[in-house]
Amino acid sequence: MDAPLAASGKVTPQPARAARWRTLAPYVLPIVVIAVLPLLPFVNNYIIAATVRALIFISLGQAWNIVAGIGGQLSLGHGVFLGLGCYTTGILFNRYGIPPWIGGWAGMLISLAVALVMGSMTLRMRGVFFALATVAVSLALVQIALHFVDLTGGGDGLALKFFGNSLWAMQSRAPAPFLYGSLAFVVAYYWITRWVLASDFGFAMQAVRDDEVAAAAAGVAVFRTKVTGFMLSAAMTALAAVLYMQFYMAIDPEAAFGLSQAIQLQLPALLGGLGTALGPVIGGAVMIFLSEVTNWGSTKLGINGVDILVYGLMLLAVILRAPKGIVGLVFKNALGGSSR
Amino acid sequence: MEATVLLALQAVLSGILVGGVYGILSIGLSLAFGVMRIVNFAHGELVMYGMYAGVIASRNFGVDPLAILPLSFLLTALVGSLMYQIVFRHFVGHATLQQLLAAIGCALVLQMIAQIIFGADARTASSVFAGEYVVFGPFFVAKVQIVAFVVAALVTLAVELMLRLSAWGKAVRAVADDLEAAEVVGINSQYINIGAFALACGLAGMAGSVLVTYYPTAPSTGFSLMPIIIIATTIGGLGSIGGTFLGGICCGVVQQVTAMMWNSALQDVPLYVLLLLFIALRPTGFFGVRSE
Repeated sequence: MDAPLAASGKVTPQPARAARWRTLAPYVLPIVVIAVLPLLPFVNNYIIAATVRALIFISLGQAWNIVAGIGGQLSLGHGVFLGLGCYTTGILFNRYGIPPWIGGWAGMLISLAVALVMGSMTLRMRGVFFALATVAVSLALVQIALHFVDLTGGGDGLALKFFGNSLWAMQSRAPAPFLYGSLAFVVAYYWITRWVLASDFGFAMQAVRDDEVAAAAAGVAVFRTKVTGFMLSAAMTALAAVLYMQFYMAIDPEAAFGLSQAIQLQLPALLGGLGTALGPVIGGAVMIFLSEVTNWGSTKLGINGVDILVYGLMLLAVILRAPKGIVGLVFKNALGGSSR
Repeated sequence: MEATVLLALQAVLSGILVGGVYGILSIGLSLAFGVMRIVNFAHGELVMYGMYAGVIASRNFGVDPLAILPLSFLLTALVGSLMYQIVFRHFVGHATLQQLLAAIGCALVLQMIAQIIFGADARTASSVFAGEYVVFGPFFVAKVQIVAFVVAALVTLAVELMLRLSAWGKAVRAVADDLEAAEVVGINSQYINIGAFALACGLAGMAGSVLVTYYPTAPSTGFSLMPIIIIATTIGGLGSIGGTFLGGICCGVVQQVTAMMWNSALQDVPLYVLLLLFIALRPTGFFGVRSE
């Protein structure tokens, strides 16, 4: 039975162009739709801004997905790298006039250094201690940022000086330019994740996630793999932070290092599907959509905090009912592996 | 020189008193980890509910928060056993990524429910001991802090004795040591686990009612207490009740000495450094159980 099927598959190949289009269409279509969004008649700045928010959190979620989803290390303090990226670009720009094109790389280097130190101190331990250490570092940074008012603006936060529309300063009154910037980030991070998943390094990370002892026995350098994955994730977060900073134009200690921000960085991957490249993309879109709806609902009802209640319930529902996220639910039968 | 030494001694003294309360805040977390390997990030939220119970008792009924300790215990033990039945029973035995995230989800839900019920503003309770100071020699301390410390120490002692001497406590320790062997000798580990988790959560609520005698509460207070609870538990040793109490005292002393001798705005930063050092060099703390 198998042989004739295989043979018939060989003798009637699909036309090459149609086959290529069929594989590329799911990627190209959403990009085109988002790219022409500002041209559509019913789309206003509010919708564009919400889309930018979704794209930014997809990028940040994709970065967290590397360490937690593929690597299995629960970083509860990824706000550290978001905050370091934001504060570094902001301080360099406000004080020294250095544009975010350069400041972003400085933020990334600082994040890499911090991730290296944090990782080498805590990643030798299994289980909870890495998670606890990331919480400790982010909360320490909240206090430090609150204390050094001259540098960070303290509790009031740090607002970027506004120069009007300027490519050099990465500033714009309208949200449309950020749409293209964040879209580029999402595409790039998606491909980085796909590349990691298919690389030897990605296989090593997944092996460490699934069984550390077995991975070590198979010759994987467990500790080095964990630290490298953590550093890659930190660098990606800090670079995407440039976008966050330029779009929101301000950062304060809680928004940077606070635990509720850290949870927002985790939800896209958790909702969409941990350890998949597609997961954070779907999860980020769902998260921003739901938060817009609940924000609107809670202002209508006059109750604060409904959006965070919804985040908490989403987190519980996903973990208890659908641990593989939306991707896991949708592709349960269609896909065996987790390569998407 | 003389003044510096006196200031340092005063700092150590108030550190010990505050630290005792950090100890009672933390022993529940330590117990849940020691028996079930559950890191309950919602522990602070239960403390916060205990604090609100104290506020309601003193504001609405004119009862001292310390008088309702058994009531707060029952209230949060009930919430805790619900939480265990719905969420944590799926995660007994391994502190996995999913378990930590589920605990954070519980924390967010509990915190926001409190905010919807009580509003976001900070509230205070009043204790009969409030506003009075005890002076001996060059030192002075608030009476509420002494009372809170004594209550904390007694509760810790009671829990430690119960775990060591009572039949139930021995069963709990048996399950913590080796679940399968405990089941073989006829212990129902599900009952033991839910009981131990309810005890851990009840201790959180009770600690909240002790803390509220001198510390205001808001819905976000629970989460903001979590760092110090985690640090006290890690330094003392996850899973050890007495060790955790000592860890709390260490935290209190380090914090108060930093605040009085260096800078009160950065009083918690040395604690975070201490936590990182302990995790890197001695993750079992002073008296902890082996982690995995």
